[in-house]
Amino acid sequence: MSAEEPSAHPFPTAVAALALLCLLLTGSAHPGADETPAVGSDDGMPVLRRSAEAAGTVAYTAVREMTGESGRGTEPTRLVNRPGDGVALVPMGEGGRPFIVRDSPFKELDERLLSTLERVYAVGDAGITDLDGRPTHTVEAARANGTVAGRFWVDVDTGILVGGSVYEETGRAVFGFRLTDLEPGDDGHWPEEAVTDSPWGDVLSPTEREELREEGWELPEHLTWNLSLVDARGTVHAGHKVVHAVYSDGMSQVSVFSQRGKLEEGHPFAFRNGSVGTGTGGTGVTPQHDTIFDGGRYHALWQADGFVYTVLADAPADLTSSAVTALPGPEDSGFWSRVQRGMSRLGFL
Amino acid sequence: MNREHLGERLSALIDGELGPAEHESALIHLAKCESCRFEADMMRRLKRRLHGLGEPEPDLDFMGRLVGLSRADGPGGGAPRGPSEPPPGGAGFGARPPLGSSRPLGGFPGEGPAGSPVPMMTEETVVAPERSARRRGDRFSHLLPTLPGGRYAVAGFAVATVLLGGAFVAGGEPGDAPVVEPRLSDFAVEHAVTSRVIPVVDTPADPAAAPSGSGPDLPTR
Repeated sequence: MSAEEPSAHPFPTAVAALALLCLLLTGSAHPGADETPAVGSDDGMPVLRRSAEAAGTVAYTAVREMTGESGRGTEPTRLVNRPGDGVALVPMGEGGRPFIVRDSPFKELDERLLSTLERVYAVGDAGITDLDGRPTHTVEAARANGTVAGRFWVDVDTGILVGGSVYEETGRAVFGFRLTDLEPGDDGHWPEEAVTDSPWGDVLSPTEREELREEGWELPEHLTWNLSLVDARGTVHAGHKVVHAVYSDGMSQVSVFSQRGKLEEGHPFAFRNGSVGTGTGGTGVTPQHDTIFDGGRYHALWQADGFVYTVLADAPADLTSSAVTALPGPEDSGFWSRVQRGMSRLGFL
Repeated sequence: MNREHLGERLSALIDGELGPAEHESALIHLAKCESCRFEADMMRRLKRRLHGLGEPEPDLDFMGRLVGLSRADGPGGGAPRGPSEPPPGGAGFGARPPLGSSRPLGGFPGEGPAGSPVPMMTEETVVAPERSARRRGDRFSHLLPTLPGGRYAVAGFAVATVLLGGAFVAGGEPGDAPVVEPRLSDFAVEHAVTSRVIPVVDTPADPAAAPSGSGPDLPTR
């Protein structure tokens, strides 16, 4: 009887081996969503590059609507693109003032954003669809696991980007914009009086960024698996340097403003545990500040390690939270938090 | 030497200082004389105990009083005294209890006046080295846990205290960090113009009428 035992269970052993093999094969066949680069033909990139080129050459007028994570739209804005002068936004409701953004730095930034998009996602041409009666190219950006991270709609006739949408991994749309009433030219819509602005002029070179890092500034090249540094600028406020680092995955942008210093404890904002707008560890990123921003924007402000960080993002909440978490955490004023901070500085942690 | 007690030779016998013949006769006497045998036995015990005491260590109380005395005699320690004057304390050296006696002022209860002869050392007054060492640590004993590794526990506690204190100091905010107020409005515009997801700017016509929650600073650019 004992001689039969070795051959008594050949079937379960074979099944277990087969199951293990299947597990290994399926595990390798379905990469995680955060793997880069996502494998794909990237045949949608020429469409997007053509669209970026059109933004700098084609004058047009359209009505823009944005939707945030709640699905609630914002007040429509008339968008007027005049190559060479910039983009004018004219609120269509009462109370708002026109705003013009000079477009000089956009060409270079566009190329960086597109390169990032291509590096992180698989950007495919999903064919031509009809959008508000206009034929549009649909371009899909897919994660490594095949889920759609974003969609772009490019007008076939003009090459203008007329829509965009960002999706979380479950497929829920969390951020988007859309242009309607698209007309060529800017006749009669360019505002005579408007607030005009352009990005800070002090662009930080890679060498300058490295010097800042050596001085203790937090300026990583990557915040998360999909957010990488695409632009860095600096300015001076009240005699103190401010650095603006732009992180993007090619679709959403997260702005990180850093200043050396600390917040005043009697700050007009509620100062809780060294942070404003977010909890310790980056949890609970709060929505935009109603009086400054429109829908869909997130805002967090805190101090850590002798620096004050402000994060503004037109991005899904989870992406913003992961970006905030990747930065030095808000300081807690408690005894043990201070001891832990000291241990970390002394190299024990 | 038969019925005559050994007397002073008993001490020499115990110290091994007798010659062979005297040593033999002394042993013969001890075998016969119970009184000398008892006395020899007591003397051996006493010498053994005295030998076991080892070299005495200065008492902490003695050292403290000695240091105090030297300070009083040092420069600026008081008015110069003549050689015949008694040291501070109101009595001459030797008139008060001997330094290092560690006994309370006025002597032990029932003891005679200061300067009386010290009682003979009895078995109760002989202190073993271990007990003596324990007595020296008695003044700190209330700080020590009763565990066998109490000293290690105290050392660990001290290290932990130093570590926590150092970490607490190191974890403090940099003293030279300036207080800054992020210009949120400027940041919002900067973010908008770089992201080109340009928001509707509800900048009021009169900046003074801006709501208090609009940020610490209004747009300055």
